[in-house]
Amino acid sequence: MSALSQLYLPGAIAVWCALAFALAALWGYVDLARGDESARGFARRAYAFFTLAVLASAFVLLVALARRDFRIDYVFQYSGLDLPWHYQLAAFWAGQKGSFLIWLFWGALIGVPLTRSIGRHEGPVMGIYVLAQLGLLFILVRENPFLMLDHAPADGQGLNPLLQDDWMVIHPPIMFIGYALSAVPFSFAMAALWKKDASDWAARAFPWALAGFLVLGTAILLGGYWAYATLGWGGYWGWDPVENASLIPWLFGTALVHGLYLERTRSRYRRANMVLAVLVFLSVLYGTFLTRSGVLADFSVHSFVDLGISGWLIGLMAFFGGLAALLLATRLRTVETRPNEDPALSRGTFLVLATIAILSCATVVTIGTSAPILTRFMENPGQVGPEFYNRVNLPIALLVAFLLAFVPFMTWRGEESARAVLRKALPGLAAGFLATCVGLGLGVTNPLHAIFLFLAVSALATNLQRVVRLARDRKLASAGGYLAHVGVGIILVGFMASSAYDESVKVTLEQGKPVSLGSHSLTFERFLPRDAHDKERAEVAVTRPDGKVWLAYPKIFVNDRTQQLMVHPAIRSGPLDDLYLSPLEYSPGSPGGFARLQLAKNESREIGDATVRFLGFNLQAEGNALVNMSAGKPVAIGAVLEVTRAGRTERVEPVYRFEQSGRTEFPPLSLPGGGRVAVGAINATAGAVELLFDGLGSTAAVPARLSLDVTRKPLVSLVWWGMYVIFAGGTLALVARARQLRKLDDLPPAGRAAV
Amino acid sequence: MSKKAWTVLGVVLLIAFAGFAFAAFRTSLTPYVSYREAQGGTRTVQVAGALEKGSTSYDESASALRFTLRDPQTGDTLRVRYEGVKPANFEDAISIVAIGRWSPGPAEFAAGKLLVKCPSKYQGTEVKSYS
Repeated sequence: MSALSQLYLPGAIAVWCALAFALAALWGYVDLARGDESARGFARRAYAFFTLAVLASAFVLLVALARRDFRIDYVFQYSGLDLPWHYQLAAFWAGQKGSFLIWLFWGALIGVPLTRSIGRHEGPVMGIYVLAQLGLLFILVRENPFLMLDHAPADGQGLNPLLQDDWMVIHPPIMFIGYALSAVPFSFAMAALWKKDASDWAARAFPWALAGFLVLGTAILLGGYWAYATLGWGGYWGWDPVENASLIPWLFGTALVHGLYLERTRSRYRRANMVLAVLVFLSVLYGTFLTRSGVLADFSVHSFVDLGISGWLIGLMAFFGGLAALLLATRLRTVETRPNEDPALSRGTFLVLATIAILSCATVVTIGTSAPILTRFMENPGQVGPEFYNRVNLPIALLVAFLLAFVPFMTWRGEESARAVLRKALPGLAAGFLATCVGLGLGVTNPLHAIFLFLAVSALATNLQRVVRLARDRKLASAGGYLAHVGVGIILVGFMASSAYDESVKVTLEQGKPVSLGSHSLTFERFLPRDAHDKERAEVAVTRPDGKVWLAYPKIFVNDRTQQLMVHPAIRSGPLDDLYLSPLEYSPGSPGGFARLQLAKNESREIGDATVRFLGFNLQAEGNALVNMSAGKPVAIGAVLEVTRAGRTERVEPVYRFEQSGRTEFPPLSLPGGGRVAVGAINATAGAVELLFDGLGSTAAVPARLSLDVTRKPLVSLVWWGMYVIFAGGTLALVARARQLRKLDDLPPAGRAAV
Repeated sequence: MSKKAWTVLGVVLLIAFAGFAFAAFRTSLTPYVSYREAQGGTRTVQVAGALEKGSTSYDESASALRFTLRDPQTGDTLRVRYEGVKPANFEDAISIVAIGRWSPGPAEFAAGKLLVKCPSKYQGTEVKSYS
């Protein structure tokens, strides 16, 4: 803990108040959970004050950023005078401390609607939930963002140029909403075990789990798009540990959503779902540990270093993991659940298989990401590359696509025979078959990919068929799941096409010379300087086979502050493919530059086909130079040269003008026989002159060159569209489940247990 | 098939998948090795080091970036060839991790991927004060 004088008090006091109120709320809610009804008012008030205190501390940091108060270390480190307002906002979550604050900010806010949606479970659920917030608060007190410097710097260090992007303004805060939401199903599960009252936990946790799934998914999509469109990493997903750290909780969350759906409809898998809810929350903590503790410092493109909070994060994981393990071990047996009476060939089985597939994927990604830790105790710690994830996830994706293709026609009780299901799925399967034929025609070669394409398109079609049917019957509200699965089908096709069938080639373009690449032709037209609208960029004309020209502007520039070389790709997105131009190297060439020659008095040198002798300075070139100089007027000095060329000797006198203000002028003078000469500088002490020659012995012009990585990525747009459709489906489901929640609260108490 | 048979089949499949995943893990693991181990090795490994100032060159004809890494501890150097987009903060990296394998022909380390650690203000001052 830092001394008082080192803290910015308005912020620090707000954080401490938040801690005090959170402790009070915890006390109140535990009392309430134990049956002391009178504690409700106290607990709610304490929670309200906790929320206000968290809002206040966030507000203080925001104001400090807006005022550019560089006395505060965090503001100094992540912002600067040159940042526009929205990057000033992004600086809030650019660093570790601010990220924890924004996480806590959402956590506190989410608690407000949460209190209202939990009815009689308020005590235990909020008790656990406040405990989770306390964990973050402890880190925040330890990693206080309101540390002050002992001086007030004039300017901050600025924001990392890689983060100066519009996507960076919205991607992290959305990610942290998702992280904050993960504590909600966890709290429901723990509370249900604690109070041995699990009858309606699934109904209540379901909308929250869906919301977490949606929000975290959105954040992951934005992150992928950021990597693709701005960072120029070439792809939307690189299996980097930091990307995986957010994918793992999302996968567990996806499994939880399916498990809760099963529980709501079949009253089964209640115990498994509680374990899943715990896994979602713990995987968020684990992901935070992986990315913030420095264990992966040598394994990730993201440079997070150990800031001394690894111990805290391990402590948090141990505490919540221990709490969950204790409750699960002692109480899980008391949770009532129904035995599985459905036949093997039923919708339930398919759902369970799909959930297992998603869990396998989550496990595989967790193990892959943890490779540096797992192998730490071997002789050489190592990590696994993208090919591991791609290989292992392929069979999982095949299984998922297969299940998705048939699940819309499966019934719970398995009344339909396998034949009947197959018959109903026939139109969808036909669509899949057609798509596969098209794919084979377009160059799909790998038989596994053909099967994959067939299953993915079939899944898309059968689910779409179901959505259309439900919409016709005016039951669109219950079509959320199917719609999401349409999206999964779309995205699977996009994944396969864009990752396995992208074509990449590296070219070096000489300015003005067209180069043909397949059916396209590329010409590097010019390099544009920085202007009011944009950074330095190259203009590349891409001529398509139909003759249409697209002007691409891949950017390549140096960040003013850090002098880092930055590149931004230029992307032409189309429905069928994206053309992705990523700059590799730019060499400006030289426009037949000047030749320089330094001559002392009476010295003569050869340059090109001429001999030049410097006879001396002429101080009377434009009035007396010495008089003008002492009068503060512009001074002109001539350099008297004797140029011998092709047997003829002529005298020329270029002048060098300068003013007191430092302004200089050296107009070039034409030489007999071509070329120009100017006085570049005067060396008064040595009595020498530096001459600049143009078109005479000068270096030959070197054209500017631009090296590009040109990639054609087929069907990338399907990845984005698939995600949009999944989100649309998820939102539909969320609305439907939230509605059921309202009904749940309207029911008389006796009715609740029957849900 | 009875329910039991289905369960057994499922468990067998899961075990098979676990075995497959484990094998894939083993083969795609890229361990950290010293330059000496990397030279002459045949598997994909990763090496780390500091960028030797002024050693960077871009070969336009081969579309490859070449540079030298120096191990700060042993002082060994390794010539690296990388075909890909030059990372944004390459030049002022404090440490570069190259993942790839030794190519004996040109006697250089052919990197398929680079991880660049920059002394960015991202966490820069904190690096200073904590380590």
